[in-house]
Amino acid sequence: MVKLTIDGKKVEVEEGTTILQAAEKLEIPIPTLCYHPLLEPYAACRVCMVELKGETCKLVPSCNTKVAEGMEIETKSERAVKARKLNLELIMARAPAAEKVQELAKEMGIEKTRFEIIDPDEKCILCGLCVRTCEEIVGANAISFANRGKDRMVFTPYGEPSEACIGCTACAFFCPTEAITFEDIHKRLVVHEEMELGPSTAVRVPIRQAVPMVPFIDEDSCIHFKTGECKICERVCEKEAINHEMEDEEIEVEVGSIILASGFKSFDASRIPAYGYGRYENVITALEFEKLVNASGPTSGKILMTNGNEPQAVGIVHCVGSRDKKYNEYCSRVCCMYSLKFAHLLKEKTNAEVYDFYIDMRCFGKGYEEFYHRLMKEGTNFIRGRVSEVTDMPLTEKEEGKLIIRVEDTLLGEIRRIPVDMVILATGLEPGIDQNEIAKVFNISCSQDSFFLERHPKLAPVSTFSDGIFLAGACQSPKDIPDTVAQAGAAASQALALADKGTFELEPITAVINEELCAGCQLCVSLCPFTAINYNAEKGISEINDALCKGCGTCVSACPSGASQQKHFRDEQIFAEIEGIFIE
Amino acid sequence: MASYRLNIMICAGTGCVSNRAFQIREAFDKEIRKNSLEKEVLTVMTGCNGFCAAGPIVIVQPEGIFYQKLTVKDIPFLVEEHFLKGRPVKKFMYTPPKETEPIPKMNDISFFQKQVLIALRNKGIIDPEAIDDYIARDGYAALSKILSKMKPQDVIAEIKKSGLRGRGGGGFPTGLKWELARKAEGEQKYVICNADEGDPGAFMDRSIVEADPHTILEGMTIGAYAIGASKGFVYVRSEYPLAVERMHNAIAQSKEYGLLGDNILESGFNFDVDVIQGAGVFVCGEETSMIASIEGKIGEPKPRPPYPVEKGLWGSPTNINNVETWANVPAIILRGSDWFSKIGTKTSKGTKVFSVAGKIKDAGLVEVPMGLTLGEIIYDVAGGIHSDKKFKAVLIGGPSGGCLPADCLGLPVDYESLTKAGAMMGSGGLVVADEDNCMVEMARYFLNFTKDESCGKCTPCREGNAAMLDILTRITQGEGTMEDLDLLEDLAHAIKDTALCGLGNTAPNPVLTTLRYFRDEYIAHIKDKKCPAHECRQLNTYTIDEERCVSEGHGCDVCRRNCAYDAIMGEKGKAHRINQDKCAKCGVCYEVCKFAAVKVD
Amino acid sequence: MKDERLIEAIEKHSQIEGSLLNLLQEVQQKFNYLPKEALQEISDEMNIPLSRLYSIATFFKNFSLTPRGKHSIHVCMGTACQIWGGQKLVERVGELLNIKPGETTEDLSFTLDTINCPGTCGLAPVVMMDKEIHGKVTRDKVAALIKKYQG
Repeated sequence: MVKLTIDGKKVEVEEGTTILQAAEKLEIPIPTLCYHPLLEPYAACRVCMVELKGETCKLVPSCNTKVAEGMEIETKSERAVKARKLNLELIMARAPAAEKVQELAKEMGIEKTRFEIIDPDEKCILCGLCVRTCEEIVGANAISFANRGKDRMVFTPYGEPSEACIGCTACAFFCPTEAITFEDIHKRLVVHEEMELGPSTAVRVPIRQAVPMVPFIDEDSCIHFKTGECKICERVCEKEAINHEMEDEEIEVEVGSIILASGFKSFDASRIPAYGYGRYENVITALEFEKLVNASGPTSGKILMTNGNEPQAVGIVHCVGSRDKKYNEYCSRVCCMYSLKFAHLLKEKTNAEVYDFYIDMRCFGKGYEEFYHRLMKEGTNFIRGRVSEVTDMPLTEKEEGKLIIRVEDTLLGEIRRIPVDMVILATGLEPGIDQNEIAKVFNISCSQDSFFLERHPKLAPVSTFSDGIFLAGACQSPKDIPDTVAQAGAAASQALALADKGTFELEPITAVINEELCAGCQLCVSLCPFTAINYNAEKGISEINDALCKGCGTCVSACPSGASQQKHFRDEQIFAEIEGIFIE
Repeated sequence: MASYRLNIMICAGTGCVSNRAFQIREAFDKEIRKNSLEKEVLTVMTGCNGFCAAGPIVIVQPEGIFYQKLTVKDIPFLVEEHFLKGRPVKKFMYTPPKETEPIPKMNDISFFQKQVLIALRNKGIIDPEAIDDYIARDGYAALSKILSKMKPQDVIAEIKKSGLRGRGGGGFPTGLKWELARKAEGEQKYVICNADEGDPGAFMDRSIVEADPHTILEGMTIGAYAIGASKGFVYVRSEYPLAVERMHNAIAQSKEYGLLGDNILESGFNFDVDVIQGAGVFVCGEETSMIASIEGKIGEPKPRPPYPVEKGLWGSPTNINNVETWANVPAIILRGSDWFSKIGTKTSKGTKVFSVAGKIKDAGLVEVPMGLTLGEIIYDVAGGIHSDKKFKAVLIGGPSGGCLPADCLGLPVDYESLTKAGAMMGSGGLVVADEDNCMVEMARYFLNFTKDESCGKCTPCREGNAAMLDILTRITQGEGTMEDLDLLEDLAHAIKDTALCGLGNTAPNPVLTTLRYFRDEYIAHIKDKKCPAHECRQLNTYTIDEERCVSEGHGCDVCRRNCAYDAIMGEKGKAHRINQDKCAKCGVCYEVCKFAAVKVD
Repeated sequence: MKDERLIEAIEKHSQIEGSLLNLLQEVQQKFNYLPKEALQEISDEMNIPLSRLYSIATFFKNFSLTPRGKHSIHVCMGTACQIWGGQKLVERVGELLNIKPGETTEDLSFTLDTINCPGTCGLAPVVMMDKEIHGKVTRDKVAALIKKYQG
């Protein structure tokens, strides 16, 4: 341990501590600009200078000077303060637009700089935090200092977009003066700055209501997985709870029945360019509106446009991506009702004029029709017609600054232009992105619209053609919550019944494989549509699972050696029957 | 080995080479062949003689006859008269100004009389490209002495006792530095020779490397042995191509003779050296900056501590010494620290090489014992002020040094006295200014240099030097105010206090010394808007003394013809006049007028 | 950039630790500047980030990212030469060739630069044409000197 005195106060610290850290312990503030606790000290800004008393008094930078036994430091001596102020004046002249510098100057009592200002918009103070971050922490080496002396600047090679840049934006994070900004390279609009719809951080809590409330590391954005460096999160976690080397474990579980409930995905509204999603800031999807209106959302439940104002008029557009030959022919079933819910919420929370553009109003459930009528009484404007486009090109003065919805009002027989402030697109439901992959793995079929195929649309809505595999929820077809819950109950009980039965009725006419004739070519394994055949590697032959076999006969006809035979339809039996017919 | 009656030592330092030293050698060889003297007379190209003002120089040994300012045309006569007939030629010898009789022998000439040669002990006597010459002059004897008889600690003790201090400018005790490097932890250690002589107006290191590269190699090997280093680098600035070549040559020859590389002199000690060429950056002469550039980074200095002797090149202990320091080592080991410590002053032992240049008569390279006064060097050795003008200041230590006035001429040259006067020994560049040099302009010039060479890392040097330069420029243009002087001083003190490296915190020295000793010139620029030395042309007013123009010059019209701004009116034969509205104050007319009819005020 | 001279140079210098500066100087000499493709090649072969090479190329005075002129004119700005009128000399050359220090003439024949002391202070003022030193070059003599190299 080392003992020293700062501003007359004694303090004891571990060897290797810097004067700045020792001062922090005593809560003595020393201004810094180019210092950051996660990086090696650079000692370039010279704003953290303090006076070291002794035989030869001199000024030293506190950020990187290590303490020594008996040191006497004065942080506010005349000499130190004078030097600090002058250096800050010089920095003010270089980067007049840097807010942090202006703040520091105010604290130190400097009104203005006596030195020449060359670029009044400059923010970069050449502290080197961005360059050091990119080199030391990220390890990408995309930016560096170019030129020498007064011409020094942070630059990419040749001033071109750096190929080595991994887009982690760490440089902007460490920059103390916002001299570095970044553009969303995916060109998706960020609706409401706090609505995290843009690229997310690598360490984040998955959703606001996550249980447990524990962050995870997204390998795609994490710097460590791109360059092998960083791992700052590990450094700062006091509980040592982070381990980058964690690997996914593959666990094999033997089960008897499987319920597929893989859900849906929302229709991507940018596929309909005419509606302006992605082009106009205030055109949002239904899911985005849900987030907006939720009390734990970015605006605490207030309905606001991107500029922070309440909308005066809102348009809700039905059937976006549904009932459309160009996209999905089916009806997504839920959109009419949720659109009505939105209309109701808008009326409740704002004074906006609400317009609802529908083709048919599908209110099929309990209390649904009544709700529709209530809305009509509340004053929502219902316009029957398919919206053709959303545009911001005004034709009259009233339309200036608005989004104009162009629609054919089929009841009036007119084409109308309705100016609104916000447009909510009722996007339909589509099968999940990995629908086909799942189907392949479980060997089940999909219907033409890519939803999973049920065994019978009326009589067996939760089973598939493969015994033991059941369906529940929107992966089978678009449905709302009550229906999903009902279907889930049905699938669960069928699965339980299967497990509970004890005995099991088999089909009599199943196929069987003659062990001696089987060559182990495995042709039948891949052909069986019910995944009933397994290859036994030890014995070197294929084996049929009686419980799954449906007796379709495919393997029988395909088997090259004739090892696979159908019970009650074996070749010998059939030939015998034929012979029997010809007996006189 | 053949022995010759006469050895013709031709100075082949860069200066004389550019003045046709090689052509002179060719001429000599031709004449020697013509007179069938090949077996008796040998021409040798040597390193820089030092008396650059008298170049091209030839010394005839063993007589020691000194010939100066030779041209190719002089050679046939010289060969015939001196080599054939044995009659040294007086008209080619050096005749001191104001005297009639020439001084035939080099050591009698005043330029050489007060010099004591240690680092430059072999200059002009050996062929720097012949290792045998070096060995013949006790070369590598010191190395074999330590490898056979001394332990590393003994070597360090001897250097410590001698009092040798770093000749690069810092003056840090060399023995102590070696001791720290030896004590530092690390398996691999390095030694570096700093030949990046960046001070403008200094060429001591260049001369040593060109004249005697082996003394450096021997010194480095001795140092490496003492510290425990196995690898060395010689960092030469690329502006010295001849020095680079000679060093490469010397390394190759040393290796051939087993004096460098593996198992040196069968002692089991390994030491290898590579040459690194500097790339045109002054700050790389600073230790940590040099190390960074060798490591393949930009030449950005690092804060010290840790010092390079603890953590240097690639994190290993590294000992860096200046060329001159290394050159002294073999002599100290061979002749003993007692002998060395008798030369010089109490605190500054030994000699120092100075390159004396500027407005003096005899510019060149000299090696004098520490303790000689500035006045002695300037007047006794370098012949005094050119054209007998008035001395104004001596700029010592380059852009890190200071400008000392006539009052300081009595100062002895040693580390402490110069620092007390506000200057610095520096690497040994001594430039003399006379009455025609403006001291404010001098400060501005130095600041321009340091601002250009600033690496840009720390705020005070990067921004502060530029700010000081702005102020000085405005002052030389007649736009300065008295508040500027206060701001200038504030800046200078802040930069001195807070800059990160030696470049930064010595950059204000020229400003501070000129403000201290030549404040009146600053005030003249500010209050009177005049430059007392007439060097700041914006403040000059050029006029033509029309009477003189006609009576002396007869209206020769030369000025008008040379005026690029059409500002002079007149006809040949008649008096000329300057149109002040058009006059750009370039001063060309003042220079070309042979009749002193153009006046400047 | 698969130029033989470049490959040779990289091979030679990558054997010696600390020789990056020497390598770049050789490239500068052979190609009269540091071509972008050469830096890319060095970056790939020697595993040095391009950003660092760019930093070095713009930090050290000896390197140029654009081609230099056939002849280089270096006017010494050392103290001794300064005292003997170095500043005016540089301006004069600039006037004659219509370029500023650091620039190259349009026809790529000359690059004007300043140099900080080639160490021949006894011959001040000094001008270095390519690698040759010319001493005592005053303002009126410099035009003739340049003309000699123009042909």
